[in-house]
Amino acid sequence: MKVENKALSPLLTVKNLKMHFPVRGGVFRRLRAKVFAVDDVSFSVPHGKTLGLVGESGCGKTTVGRCILKLYKPTAGKVVFNDRNVLSLQHEALRESRKDMQIIFQDPFESLNARHTIQEILEEPFIIHKIGNKNQRVARVRELLDRVGLPRNSLMRFPHEFSGGQRQRIGIARAIALHPKLIICDEPVSALDVSIQSQVLNLMLELQETLGLTYLFIAHDLAVVKHISDRIAVMYLGKIVEMSDADSIYEKPFHPYTRALISAIPIPDPFRKADKIVLRGDVPSPINPPPGCHFHTRCPYALDRCRVEPPGLKDAPGTSGEQHLVACIRAGEI
Amino acid sequence: MQTIIMVINPLTIKKFKRFKSIKRGFYSFLVILTMILASFFAELLVNNRAIAVRYDGKLFFPTYGHMLPGKTFGLSYDYETNYRQLKQKFDAEENGNWVLLPLIPYDPFENDLPEDLYPPHPPSLERQHYLGTDTSGRDIAARLIYGFRIAILFSLGLLGVTYVVGVSIGSAMGYWGGKFDLFFQRIIEIWSNVPLIYIIIIISSIVVPSFWWLIAIMALFGWMGMTWTMRTITYKEKTRDYVLSARALGASNFRIIFRHILPNTVSIIVTFIPFSVSGGITALTALDYLGFGLPPPTPSWGELLQQGWANLDAYWIVGAVILAMTITLITVTFVGEAVREAFDPKMHTIYE
Repeated sequence: MKVENKALSPLLTVKNLKMHFPVRGGVFRRLRAKVFAVDDVSFSVPHGKTLGLVGESGCGKTTVGRCILKLYKPTAGKVVFNDRNVLSLQHEALRESRKDMQIIFQDPFESLNARHTIQEILEEPFIIHKIGNKNQRVARVRELLDRVGLPRNSLMRFPHEFSGGQRQRIGIARAIALHPKLIICDEPVSALDVSIQSQVLNLMLELQETLGLTYLFIAHDLAVVKHISDRIAVMYLGKIVEMSDADSIYEKPFHPYTRALISAIPIPDPFRKADKIVLRGDVPSPINPPPGCHFHTRCPYALDRCRVEPPGLKDAPGTSGEQHLVACIRAGEI
Repeated sequence: MQTIIMVINPLTIKKFKRFKSIKRGFYSFLVILTMILASFFAELLVNNRAIAVRYDGKLFFPTYGHMLPGKTFGLSYDYETNYRQLKQKFDAEENGNWVLLPLIPYDPFENDLPEDLYPPHPPSLERQHYLGTDTSGRDIAARLIYGFRIAILFSLGLLGVTYVVGVSIGSAMGYWGGKFDLFFQRIIEIWSNVPLIYIIIIISSIVVPSFWWLIAIMALFGWMGMTWTMRTITYKEKTRDYVLSARALGASNFRIIFRHILPNTVSIIVTFIPFSVSGGITALTALDYLGFGLPPPTPSWGELLQQGWANLDAYWIVGAVILAMTITLITVTFVGEAVREAFDPKMHTIYE
């Protein structure tokens, strides 16, 4: 792996990504409204690093992941992967690029075809990209099973015969089959028991080290992200509200939303008094996002300015060079 | 084929076990399966040719193959042997020759017109017309069994054609969606409003509808039902994560549809099959009853029903057809219910 050579330019850069889903209705499917699922999101992930993307359900984090893989066609923006704009790729080039980018899904019950055996599931990447003959493929599949810690006799079994954690391992094995550079992890442990979560996370960390993988780790749980990420971006209603190195975001969060999320992490200490920040109200609909700062409807510190003026993602007070970005006009004062 | 060793999904085995455990449906399935298989070998059960003849130390099996003239068996004529008479002759002679006749020794096209009697004849064990004869002296049991064979083949043929067309168009609508879907939705809505019975009346006034003609016409106006179901299932399946992961791996549309989506819709398609079969049988019977179905003298339940209706005093005609229809439709419906219950996805889903 010649990771070092390219260390300067990031593996993945997302620039001003927008994904507006049309809401259609009536006999002729006229455009009724738009869902602003992802609205102007930019970030980059260097080689071999992990970016954690956090936010509550419906904030657009999954959509970001799927846009990068071109599973959805974004409305606007650029996704530069390995110095190539992924979104302009067509047919064969797109198919080739799929080798380098993979995805692990949240729900291991949904992401494996219930009608295929484990062998068929894990062989599929090789068949699609016409790699090897039957025997070579089976050998590769066996190798993959070893790598993710599944017994070799799993080959002829079906997904429903495995536990959630084992299925997620199958999903991981499928994702690493073609030796991708980037893996989008779409809440890979959210559906698992807490005891299994750490096993799967450790497996992912181990694979990252041995295979030189780069992760975009999507989660709604800050505690999980903390464990695995180098850098963390917090999303709210289609926008990134704060982005920083993993440690500094926990030590010194600027955005009131980030603070609320961090205060929600359970602390395993029965004597410690919980002083959680409880947000009032619900997330506004992404069909009709509020003007100004999207968060002002629930923000305890909101001013009149917040209701009209959209805050850009800027260097947080006391930082520079895009080390710690925050989208709040009162970032320093509160 | 991807795998050389075919592995049956344990879930499928479970479904079959469930099906087997639903007694009413399972026994109905055995009954209807026996009826279908028996009707495929109807020549051995219902025929005016003997199953086996032993004559002068030689064995003959006249059921399949060319007709054997009477002279073969030492009779005076050159046309096909009348095995019923031959049996009587051999039985009387008692010289080691014998004739094994089928259970019902009549052909469905054969008019059995004994002297001094006008058809229809009531059921008679002695003459081996167990269900009597129709107004032309043809054996009703024979016509029922051959009619059943035609009806079931018609039904399965129609099912095959409509499902292939319906599943293809339906899954394409669901998979590609958008304008393609919109276009076909409107086409189907318009097409569904074409009055089928008038079309068939018009066509059968121009050509005499043959078996395949009828299937073609019925399929032409009957493929729409399946499209709605397939469209909906495909819409649902294509957004599921396993399809997305196949796309993320770079699978082609062809591969996604045939390797991923269709196999996952099979269990739903299967539940429709028994109901389509009974629908096909009913449709053919109705058309034959109205006289727009298969041309006479094809053995047909609809035609028998019509005769029975015209001769209600010959109660055995109407009685036999209604009994046969009731048994067939009830068993098929029971099978359908059992299949639906055994394949119910809610029974096999684990909610966490």
